[in-house]
Parts: sequence; structure tokens; C-alpha cells
Amino acid sequence: MSASGSLATGFDRRPWLLLSPALVSVALLLVVPAMFIVVYSFWLRTATGADQVTFSLDNWREVLTDPFYRDILIQTLRIAAISTITCALVGYIPAYYIAYAPTRHKTLLLVLLMLPFWVSYIIRTMSWINILGVSGAVNGVMLWAGIIDEPIQMLYNEVTVVLGLVHFLLPFMILNIYVSLDGIDRSLTDAARSLGCTGWQAFREVTLPLSVPGLAAGSLLCFVLGAGTYITPMVLGGPGDAMFANLVFEAIVTQLDWPLGSALSLLLLALLSALVLVYSRFLGIDQIAKSFR
Amino acid sequence: MDQTKRLERLLERYRNGDIDRRSFLGLLGAAGLGAGLAGGPMTLLARQARAADPDQVRFDGWGGVVSEAFREHAFEPYTEKTGIPVVDGTFGGADEYLARVKASQPGEFNIAHLSGVFDYARYHGLELSTTLNEDNIPNLKLVIEALMNAFRPITGGALSAVPYDYGTTGIAYNRKHVSDDEAKAQGAALLVNPDFKGKIGGWGEWKTRIWYAALQTGQNPNGIEDMDAVWDKLREHRDLLLKYWGSGAELMSLLAEEEIYVTEAWSGRVKALQEQGHDIGYLDPPGGLAWQECLFVIKGSPMEACEELLNFMLEPAVSIAVAEGQNYPPALDPTKVDLGEVVPTLPAFDPTGTLESLNFFDPTYWNTNEQEWSKTFGRVQKGR
Amino acid sequence: MSLAWTAIRFGTLLVYLFMFAPVAVVMLLSFNANQFGSFPMEGLSLRWFVALIENDAIVRAFQTSLVLGALTSVISTTMGVLAALAMVRYDFPGKRLISTALIAPILVPEVVLAVALLLFLRALDVPRSFFLLLMGHVIFTLPFVVLVVQARLVGIRRDYEEAALSLGANAFQTFREITLPLMLPAVLAGMLFSFTISFDDITGTLFWKPGGVETVPTQIFAMLRNSISPEINALGTVMVVFTVALPLLGAALARRVSARMTTGR
Repeated sequence: MSASGSLATGFDRRPWLLLSPALVSVALLLVVPAMFIVVYSFWLRTATGADQVTFSLDNWREVLTDPFYRDILIQTLRIAAISTITCALVGYIPAYYIAYAPTRHKTLLLVLLMLPFWVSYIIRTMSWINILGVSGAVNGVMLWAGIIDEPIQMLYNEVTVVLGLVHFLLPFMILNIYVSLDGIDRSLTDAARSLGCTGWQAFREVTLPLSVPGLAAGSLLCFVLGAGTYITPMVLGGPGDAMFANLVFEAIVTQLDWPLGSALSLLLLALLSALVLVYSRFLGIDQIAKSFR
Repeated sequence: MDQTKRLERLLERYRNGDIDRRSFLGLLGAAGLGAGLAGGPMTLLARQARAADPDQVRFDGWGGVVSEAFREHAFEPYTEKTGIPVVDGTFGGADEYLARVKASQPGEFNIAHLSGVFDYARYHGLELSTTLNEDNIPNLKLVIEALMNAFRPITGGALSAVPYDYGTTGIAYNRKHVSDDEAKAQGAALLVNPDFKGKIGGWGEWKTRIWYAALQTGQNPNGIEDMDAVWDKLREHRDLLLKYWGSGAELMSLLAEEEIYVTEAWSGRVKALQEQGHDIGYLDPPGGLAWQECLFVIKGSPMEACEELLNFMLEPAVSIAVAEGQNYPPALDPTKVDLGEVVPTLPAFDPTGTLESLNFFDPTYWNTNEQEWSKTFGRVQKGR
Repeated sequence: MSLAWTAIRFGTLLVYLFMFAPVAVVMLLSFNANQFGSFPMEGLSLRWFVALIENDAIVRAFQTSLVLGALTSVISTTMGVLAALAMVRYDFPGKRLISTALIAPILVPEVVLAVALLLFLRALDVPRSFFLLLMGHVIFTLPFVVLVVQARLVGIRRDYEEAALSLGANAFQTFREITLPLMLPAVLAGMLFSFTISFDDITGTLFWKPGGVETVPTQIFAMLRNSISPEINALGTVMVVFTVALPLLGAALARRVSARMTTGR
């Protein structure tokens, strides 16, 4: 990447030293276990639910050719993408506010974002029934105000799945954008203003491009987490709103078909990894943004 | 001091009782992972650690009221009498637990509060069953014969579990929208009544859904002849459905908040709603489904210690406390044991102790079809 | 600008309202006299708070969750900051691959990671332990830390560090005096992320927890079949009150102390 060229003459041990704790942990607890998954994907499930050691391409054939999996996969990527875009659009506003507002309570505002996490995921996901349900708060207020005569059925469809996901993912997005906004040198926007830019122009030309690393990191996180979720569709989705991780969970836990579950998860893993590779290239390109300074 | 020496000293301290088992195994795990060493001395030591310590029993069951009742009425007296500690764990569902057991080492899990005959057969099929010495469990004489007889043919006449409680999965309906008479007249067909489109719930579990679809197509659930009709019925139900629920807590909130008016439901959960003043009716339609739960002893467990603990758990006082906590009647025969005042009021309770009026899954039949049906149902559920 | 600023402020308020809606429900229901929450509530009561204090199982699970979350956040943030420094400040072969590896734990569906790790341990014949559970949490909180710290580091200009180095500071001094303070917000964000994710994790914890260890989410999961007791709502309320009230109180105290110091001068 950047200025380290002068430091990196010959073999430089320092980055490897810095990386070693993380890499050793990931290798031991993730990469090696993942090999088991690869091996498993070529096995078969016996009639009782045990694993049959063999070499078979049946799981892969099924996973790659069955339109059922393809459709759910597309649905998963769509839901994850919608949720991510919503998070980016909605999340930028509070991130900007926290970064630039003349308030002493920045830390508090940030901590508050994580507040919903103190109430367990299942509980807070289930509690939407008290807000959006037919006898929930929103319907109650609208009935009382005379906007509607009958409660509206709002829950258990794709919209509520996205809503639940956005609620879960938004803090990650906001924090990532904030961290990036907060690191921007204020003199840059001031300079832009003094050169005659309007506030909006200064934002578009200076602030927004410089906050792209945060936006990108937040989006990657949101997309990946969104694509790997299974509890939200279970609690807030109707029939047909399943996501890919539900299939993985069902194959592994309900059907005890670990070989098939392995193949399914490797497919998801491959797709998401490709995305990360694109991201890291994108972040590399983004270094151009630094020449702005 | 090299790693092996250090571990051996650790083991010695552990044997002398200087450190308790949990921290010992924790340290062992830490040492193993920290050093990143596989097999060799670690394997040996871990094995010794478990063998040196047969006198601990691991129990896994439902949390909340159930585990509180067990802890207070069974585990504490048991530990006091025998000096054997009971380590208790919880699970959120039978499938999730089985997945964990499948990935564990033999002997890691001992007794589990499992559902029904189906899981009993499933564990047996996975070679996880044991043979109980029934002489060591005198309280077994108080248990309803019929419940035990459901297990015996699977494990060649012996038992690998003791029955513990039973209930039904019937039909719950909101009395504001469905009268008792209407519910009774329609029976299982109430669940696919198009008048309630968008107000119907269903348990997202393949066995129960297929059972009810079989009833709705006029077939015997334990001997379905026209499976295509059943799948069509399941799709019809899905298209009328608001939501598949996955837990008792979810079932109760859907009914209480009036998101759904009719659904299949677990007897004890509806009872709990009624106790809270919700106007929900409950019906076991003709051919309705009953189930039982058992305390299963998993292969590799210290048998005598487990048998003694099972006897404690079958004590009437314990059974009754658990039953009142979860609203499901205990497996004790009411003609042999006085079950107090609350238990006879629980839904599905059979005062005769014969359970002749209840229908259970035929384990052989359902286990044979498990692989295909569970997978197909998963697809139907998701819109196929 | 001030109109735009008002809009931003209003938008922020709406987002916070959205974030807090479910929390508010949980807090309100914790004062409900009835067991099953439905609005309007029929009576107020503190019985669930009393029940919460008396419920050993939940209190113990809560302590476990706190300890686990704190340890996770310390270990994971340390590893993550070091890794992020290497990724942003150095060039080395295989970098792209390593950056994927660092993010990999959130790419694998958690249930797969959970089972895979258990299979590995079974092969090694290593029993489940608290340490394993902790390391499991560290693994899947690590990507959060790496991502957030990396994003911040990219934005920190190299000139500052180089200036410090040229003024005779050594690498560690430069890190302590220049880099660390500049990336502190990201480090804190990383700690906050890893703590809360660990505190709220279900799937991995279910599979990895050793006998006798329960966290708050696994306790809740096990209650689902019968009914989640409202003590859980009460616990949520207690948590929220502590995390909001304590910082507020701390800030107020700090202001008073500093005010007194200025007046005393």
C-alpha cells in the first residue's frame, strides 16, 4: 500500500509479527476446521443420519444444479443487498451528526447505538410484534387517530425481514461511517468552503469521498452478516421468506445431513469470499482518494 | 519443565483434589490449544481425566421453570445423598441438541430430556442408546405401562430412557372468532379453512404438519397411502398461512396478540394462556396427535449413577413440580400415585393411566420416511 | 446550512427512535403485572425485578456473559489492532489473501463454524472448555475489530508518524504517542463491538459451551419452548439503565468536579 516502501527493503518481519496472533487463531480455529467441512462435503448421509465416509459428488451436483437452492440464494443476496443499501442511506445521517455536531455527548450517542444489543437478539426481534402487530403500538395509534378502521397486517413478510435486519445491522454501519468521518481533517472542508464551495459541494467533493472507506467497511459487514442470518427470517418472515443460512441450519441441525450442509455452506462461503476480494481491491483503489490531501 | 511434565503435574494436582474438574479440563484445553499440539500426551491426559472421574452426571434439558424444578427437587437431594455433582445444561431444541451430541466425544453427555418415541428411535438408530438396569430404578413401577411399551420394541425389550411427561398437539383457536361448536364440527379441517386466510399459524415441523395434513385428507397418519394428496394439502395450508412458528413462546405471543386465530398448538402452552385470561380454546380433534417426553441415557454414560439420578427424578414430588411448571402431565400412573390437585386439570391428562385415547407417532414408520419427508417439507414450507 | 443541519438532526432523532423502539417495549413490559406482554398493560409491578434478583440461574448466566464479553473484547481488540496495523502500514506478499482470512470468520455461517470446530476438537480429543468458548467468540468478533480499525488507520496520515520518527521517537513511542491516540475511537468502537457481539451471541455459544456454563442468550433459548419469563425483560431494563445512567452520571460528576476545580482556583 502506501508509504511503507522505504521501510520494506528485503524481508520485513514486522507485519508478520503483528499479524501472528490473529493469523494463528484464525488458522487453528477456522481454517483447519474448514478443511473438515471440505472433506465432509464429499461424504454422504446414511438413512439414520450418520455420516458415510466415501467420495461422492452427489452433494455438489445437488447444490449446484437444483433450482431451489439457486432461487433461495438469489433471494438471500437480494434481501442482504436491500438491507445494506437501506443501512447506508439511513445510517449516514446519524453518523454525520455524531461526527460534526457540537455536542459533548459523542461517546454517549455511540454507546446508545449499541443499546439494543443489551436486550437479547431473540427478545428484541420478537418484540416487533408489540410494535407492528395487529394489536401493536403503530396500529393502536392509527386506529385512535382515525387513520384506519381496521388494524393493518404488517408483520411476517419480506419487508419485516428487511426491517429486522436493518435494525440489527444499522449500528455497525453507523459506527463504521462515523469512525471514518471523524478521521477526516477538518481543515480540508474549511479550505473547500473558503474556495467558494457551498456546504453541499464541500460535502460531495471532500467529505463523502473521504468517508468511503468507512462506508465500504460498513457495507461489507452489513452485507455479509445479512447474507448469513437465519434467526431474523425465522422470527419475522412468513412462509417463503427463508434465506440461505436457514437451509444450512436445517440441513445441519434438523436433517442432520452434515455432508449436504457442508456443501451448501461452502457455496455461500465462496460467494462471500469473492465479495471480500473485490472489496479489498476496491479499498486498494480507494487509496487514490488520499491524493486529495 | 516441558509441556508433558507440566500437564502430568496438573493431572496429579487434579487427582489430589487440588483443582476441580472444570478448571482442570479448562486448563488442559488451554494448554492444548496454546501449544497447538494434537494427539500425543494431550489425548492421553484428556482420556485419563474423564476416566478418573466417572462420578459426575451431565444432564441437559429445557431451561426456565423445568430446570429450576429439577435442580431444586432432584439434583440437590441427589448430590447430597450420593456426593455426585450434577452438571446441568440446557438446549433450545431437540434437533440442535442431537447435532451437538453427534459432534461430541462419547461420555460427554449423559442424560437428556428428549421428545417422544421418534427421537428415542433416532438416537437408537445413531447407536447412542444404552440398556438401563430397571432394578436400579424402583420408581419405574409407578410409570404408565403404555409409555414404556412404546420404547421397548425399538431397543429389543430393554429401555434406554424413562418416560417423563406427555401432552398433545391439538388445535388452538381464538374464541372471539371461532366458537367451540364450530371448532368441534370442523376438527382438523379448521386449520385449512379459507375463511381464516392470513390468520392461520402452523408449527414449522415436518412430522406434526404431515400428521395433520394426513387427517385433513382423511388418511391414517401412521399409514399414509396417498402422499401426493398430503403434499398438496400442506401447500394449501401454506398458502393460507400467516406464519410458521418455531417455539412455545412464539406460539403464545402469536395467539395472545391476535396475529393468528387458529393454529395447531401444544396443550400446555394453551393452558398457560388460558391461565393468563386469554380467551383461547383448545381441541384435540379425532385422530389428534399425542407425544411423550423421556429422560434418555446416552451411550458412554456412568450407568449406575445415571440410574440412581433417574430414580430421583421420577419421585412423585419432582414429577409433579416439573409438570406444574410446564403444564404437561407427568408419566406417573394416576391409579398408583396421588398426583395432587393441579395435575388432573392439565390438558391431555388421562385419569385411567392407559392413554388408550391418545395417538402417538409410529416410530418405525416415521423414521423410515424421515430423510425424504423432512427434506420435502422444508421445500414446501419455503414456497415449493 | 442550518436548514440542512435541522434535517440531519431530525433524521438522527428518527433513527434513534427506530433503534430504541424494541428496547422501549422490553422495558415497558418489564413493569407489566401480567406474564404475557400485551398492550395496554393491565397493571404495573416490580415483581419481575424481585424475581430476577432471586433467580440464580439468570444471575449466573449474566455474570458469565459479562466475563466472557469482557475477555473477548480485550483479546479480540488486541489481536485486531495489531493485525490492522500490519495490513495498513506494511506491504507484503499474500496480503489480499490474508485480508480475506481475517474477515473469513463472519463469512462462514455460524452454525457451520460451530460444528466444524467441534469436529476438529473431537478429532484432537480435546473436551469443550470455557477457554474454547472464549476463543470461539474471539474468532468471530475479530473481523469487526479489524474492519473498523483498518478503516480508521487508512484515514490517519502517515506524515504524523514519520514526523515523530524523524524527531527521534522510536517505533513504540510513535505508536503510543501518535498512532494510538489517533485511532483510539476505532479501538473503542472495536471493543464495544466485540463485547456486545459476544454478549449477544447464540449459535456458536450453544455448540461450544461446556457443561454447566450458560450465557444469557442460551438461557433464553432454553426458555423458548415453554415461555420466556419476564425476568429476562427486567434484565434488559437493568442493563439499559446501567449503560445509559452510569455514563450520564459519570459525565455529570466529571463536569461538577472540574467546575469545582476551576472555581477553587
